[in-house]
Amino acid sequence: MIIAVILAAAGPLAGTLAAAGGARARQAGWAGAAGAGVALGSAVYLLAAQLHHAPLRGWGGFLYVDSLSCFFLLTVAGVTLLAAVGSVAYLSAEEDSGRLSRFQVRLYFIFFGLFASLMLASFETGNLGLLFVLIEASTLASAALVGLEARASSLEAAWKYVIISSFGVTIALAGTLWLFYSASSLHLAPDLRLTWPYLFIHAHALAPQSLRLAFLLAVVGYGTKVGLAPMHTWLPDAHAEAPSPASAMLSAALLNTGMYAIIRFLAITRARLGDGYPRGVLLAFGFASIVIGVLFMVRRGNFKRLFAYSSVEHMGIIAIALGFGGVLGMYGALLQILNHAIAKAVLFLSSGDVALRYQTREAAGVRGLLAAAPVTGAALLLASFAALGAPPFGVFLSELTIVRAGFAAASPVFPLLLLAMLAVAFVAFARTTAAMVTGEALPSPSPYRGRGAGLAAVAPLAVGLAALLVLGLWIPAGLNAVILHSVGFLT
Amino acid sequence: MQTLSAASTAGVLLDLSGVLILLLAFACLGSKLFNRYVAYYGAQSVVLSFAAGVAAFTFHSVELWILAVATLAIKGIGIPVSARRLLVQRLELSRDTALSTGLSTSLIAGGALTAFAYLVTRPQLLPHGVVAAAVVPLSTAVILLGGLAMVVRRHTVAQLIGWLIVENGVFLGAITLVATFPFIVEAGIFLDLVAGVLIMLVFVSGLTRRLASASAAELRELHG
Repeated sequence: MIIAVILAAAGPLAGTLAAAGGARARQAGWAGAAGAGVALGSAVYLLAAQLHHAPLRGWGGFLYVDSLSCFFLLTVAGVTLLAAVGSVAYLSAEEDSGRLSRFQVRLYFIFFGLFASLMLASFETGNLGLLFVLIEASTLASAALVGLEARASSLEAAWKYVIISSFGVTIALAGTLWLFYSASSLHLAPDLRLTWPYLFIHAHALAPQSLRLAFLLAVVGYGTKVGLAPMHTWLPDAHAEAPSPASAMLSAALLNTGMYAIIRFLAITRARLGDGYPRGVLLAFGFASIVIGVLFMVRRGNFKRLFAYSSVEHMGIIAIALGFGGVLGMYGALLQILNHAIAKAVLFLSSGDVALRYQTREAAGVRGLLAAAPVTGAALLLASFAALGAPPFGVFLSELTIVRAGFAAASPVFPLLLLAMLAVAFVAFARTTAAMVTGEALPSPSPYRGRGAGLAAVAPLAVGLAALLVLGLWIPAGLNAVILHSVGFLT
Repeated sequence: MQTLSAASTAGVLLDLSGVLILLLAFACLGSKLFNRYVAYYGAQSVVLSFAAGVAAFTFHSVELWILAVATLAIKGIGIPVSARRLLVQRLELSRDTALSTGLSTSLIAGGALTAFAYLVTRPQLLPHGVVAAAVVPLSTAVILLGGLAMVVRRHTVAQLIGWLIVENGVFLGAITLVATFPFIVEAGIFLDLVAGVLIMLVFVSGLTRRLASASAAELRELHG
């Protein structure tokens, strides 16, 4: 059990070690992918074990793995595997063409592994202070990925990212401090004071006033990492400037890590203060994010920015689902987290392929992708529809659940508004991606040398799309049980 | 449960340190020279380490002693000295011209934020007798002032200092809870801070080489 816990967090470090030892893009990439595979395997094992056992605890509350942790471990480890395989193709193409130096490539793999490991480890701790430490450390590790290409624009994006996120997370630390204040009347041993399961069990004894402040500060602070509007301003820049597999990690893993922290605070707050207050906070930030995300998606331009604003929109949907609450709302939120993660990983990985082929990130510079690169084009098109919530993909199912939760929980105005925004998002997003894949093909030489790299570029797209399709039609029993179990104690 | 009353010597010293830290945050907000920013931040950290020392002495906590010494060595001496060498001398930055508001406006805004901090952290919010309650609004005010410094200053170095002041504010709030915030967490926060400063300094010097001055006012390429 403990070994699985360690492997689930430390697996991706294989790529870091290989790169630190001087391996080139191909070897370091495959080492990282193997490590991510080990992490995913361990996550699946933990998930299966979790179904029949009580939550795993140890080290004075610093280690705590319950079904919610397992769900997030599975999601992020899965995304890490897809992005790690995509990294092999992307980085070896960049290295072969000389656009990135060997030093930059090594730096990429060192920080990629570190970034993934820190996020995975943050799901395994029950101590909210340590959660802060790990999330802040993952910000720092990923800043190097954003600024990797060292152009003026990528340094600017990295600066914006690191300063805004660090400030935001420090605000979340202040929130953690207030939670700590609110628990000071509890007679818990010092080590357990910040430990989530104990705070959750004793939620009824927390001081309500300081808990309100703690929740608000945590949503603002960790919401900065999630990309909730109006704290989202770093997000489109960082996603657009990072190498594409790193963008996939930011969008599909990092944002979810922030959301995980918010869910932990939400559970305690809901247990003490009831539904009303957290719902108000989450609906306000959620709708702000959807409106901002959709408005900026209307603009046609850099396609990676388009995907980034779609992430802002999706995080808004998830915040709204958490705000609706109830079994349906929480179920929908968790399912949406998984589906969005896979869809966005596929979208960003295919955008990496497009960027390598055409050497542009402007949508106007890309036409006829279906004819020029059928697999990438099809993946881009299908993943766009999946991300927008078209059936039969998983996102359709989770968004339907969320809308139903809205009708069950709050006034019908909210779910109707949500549906209207989703319709606008569909038009805004699809008109850009549809123009990219259709039309006459522009000449685009394959950027990959060797069969291994070509396969590494295509395989994660196919696997991701297949997973999305499966999740739209059938939710595996184990996954369903773990989500229901998490929902059970969250509501 | 260990308590700390406002009337005890330690309580008075902690309050006094809190006030000094707030005043130094104001001093930073009211200055225009880069070496002053760094100097005020260093002085603030020295006072903070003194406050941590007081708490450590009162509660006989070895861990807090370690933190006090680390604060003095890293935040009080290490960061200011290296920042001065790297940024002020090597990059030849002296006057900060990238302010979005005048100094007096930002000081008035700072005063308003301090009043706001006292309004939101009313004593009844806090459980009785457990923490040095007077320090909590002070620490909230320092957090807000650091945020304000980040907003009104557009130069990357000034924003970095603003973030460090926010960090000091949170740390001040944490030591009032003395001996209960787990040591591993405090140490982790410290490590993050050091790593964060290192990474940010790399970006600052990278940006300075790319742009004529590393002012966020010139960071205009990415928008929309």
